Amino acid sequence: MSDREIVVEELVKTYPGKVKAVQGVDFRVEAGRIFGFLGPNGAGKSTTIKILTTLALPTSGRVTVGGYDVVSQATQVRRVAGVALQDVGIDPLMKSMELLVLQGRLYGASKTDATARARELLELVQLSDAVSRRAGTYSGGMRRRLDLAMALVHQPKILFLDEPTTGLDPASRRDIWREVRRLNRELGITIFLTTQYLEEADELADNVAIIVGGKIVAEGSPARLKASMGEESINLVFDSPDLAEKGRQTLDRMGDRIQLDRDTVRLYLSKAAGSIPAVINQLQGAGLAPISLTLTQPTLDDVFLQVTGQRLVASEVIQTKSNRAPRRAEAK
Amino acid sequence: MEAGGPSKSGTISLPMQVFLLVIRSLTTLLRTPEALLPPIAISIFFLVIYQSTLGKAASFIPGIGGSYLGFILPLSIVSGSLSGSGIAAQNLVRDIERGYFDKLLLTPVRRAALLLAPILAGAVILGLQAAIVVSVGLLLGLKPVTGLPGLLAVIGLGVLLGIGFAGFTVSAALGSGSAAATQGASFLFFPLTFLAPTFVPLSLLSGWLEVAAKVNPITYVLEAMRSLLNTGWDAKAIGTSILACLILAAAMYALAAFALSVRVRRS
Repeated sequence: MSDREIVVEELVKTYPGKVKAVQGVDFRVEAGRIFGFLGPNGAGKSTTIKILTTLALPTSGRVTVGGYDVVSQATQVRRVAGVALQDVGIDPLMKSMELLVLQGRLYGASKTDATARARELLELVQLSDAVSRRAGTYSGGMRRRLDLAMALVHQPKILFLDEPTTGLDPASRRDIWREVRRLNRELGITIFLTTQYLEEADELADNVAIIVGGKIVAEGSPARLKASMGEESINLVFDSPDLAEKGRQTLDRMGDRIQLDRDTVRLYLSKAAGSIPAVINQLQGAGLAPISLTLTQPTLDDVFLQVTGQRLVASEVIQTKSNRAPRRAEAK
Repeated sequence: MEAGGPSKSGTISLPMQVFLLVIRSLTTLLRTPEALLPPIAISIFFLVIYQSTLGKAASFIPGIGGSYLGFILPLSIVSGSLSGSGIAAQNLVRDIERGYFDKLLLTPVRRAALLLAPILAGAVILGLQAAIVVSVGLLLGLKPVTGLPGLLAVIGLGVLLGIGFAGFTVSAALGSGSAAATQGASFLFFPLTFLAPTFVPLSLLSGWLEVAAKVNPITYVLEAMRSLLNTGWDAKAIGTSILACLILAAAMYALAAFALSVRVRRS
């Protein structure tokens, strides 16, 4: 079993100049699971994955991948692990078959075997049609799929994906998600991925760890994390941020939590549907009428905001204060 | 997944690794003909220029030992070795810049293979280049005293010298990871061609130039090539030049190995 597990104990990474990229991270990925590292840029995701894939050394702590120590048994780790990093590393002048066959042969396959495997992988990632074109002519999504295929050539038991869909259009993102799920379901590959997309973590991961500032601030399955945030929310959109602020003040004590986001007020409470009449009455009493009212289930977005006090925007982190101090968010 | 995967040992022999990577380098090099043509064109250009401008005047210089074309063609080949040696290094830098090099590092490929492949791919290109220059020389009226075997030996020496230069540019590529720095490194050896019996025989050099020429491997290669073309098989000259090339190649390979170890060192 341990040959498909990842175990990280008290991982610390400090760069020269005392930059603490990772400050004591612990987690375990069980065989055949998908584990997501969710966090903004600079949180320590890329540093962690570089250490896990033997591209960087930990400052302290113990990390084993597939049962092998990343520091002393790097060669073995590289054999059992497949890696697809954020910067897709391919030679643009080569064709996809050439890249895959070379990769296969470097791992010891004969030319025949390597060619068959390359065809199989191109089929898997749906690049069979583009076989005779140079990789440099591929779109971003196609390159990511080729990168994924390259990572799978040597039949790894554990796959590392660093921000697999950052910068891709929605269709390509869904393609990648489908491939990742299929690899996990059909081949039982353990997958560790980093992402700054809440949706991606929600869609793919069996377990999610939210990392901010080099530390894990929450961990659990998406369902459990969302359930632990408690509640559904009633969302009220007003004509202006000023009116929304008035609405917030009016409804302040009605639920468990209240959030202001520009012109929207979100009131968290249980059995939200039943509370709608009371909310409307309260607002009417204050002379306020929202322009829309919706009911939503908890999302990872809420979890993130709740746990970090920040809203996770891809490639940006915006400070938002909820509850007491009515500061408006700059953007969502 | 029915298709066969990796072998039980999980990798292949070093010579096979080098072979695969050299083929790959050559394939991509041939897909950028705009990188290959300039050095060849320059070599041919200079050959034609030297012969036309200096050819007749050179018959008055003592110690030429035969035709001036036979005297000056080696310079053309040596210049080609220099400018061509940067090509394979440029390929390597591109790999580094694109991240493909990092991918190769994660495979079981041996470090020696990563060093030898660009150097040997460069050697193949140099050999082709030298062959073209020699052909042009023949068209211009070159009559090598040692015939075809001698011509092959001349080409061989050009390749051997180029291997040393390639080791240097590969070091620059690995050390800097930058195309601009690697290009600059290719030019560093350029002055070396002039600290040698470039236009006149060694006997006519004096003072610091003579000293510099005597420690310059290019000197011995030029002399060996000239003897092959103009005078005959000179075992001493050929032996000295081969030794000089091997020393240069070994030193440059060591430098490249050092640059690679710095690059792959994990931190």
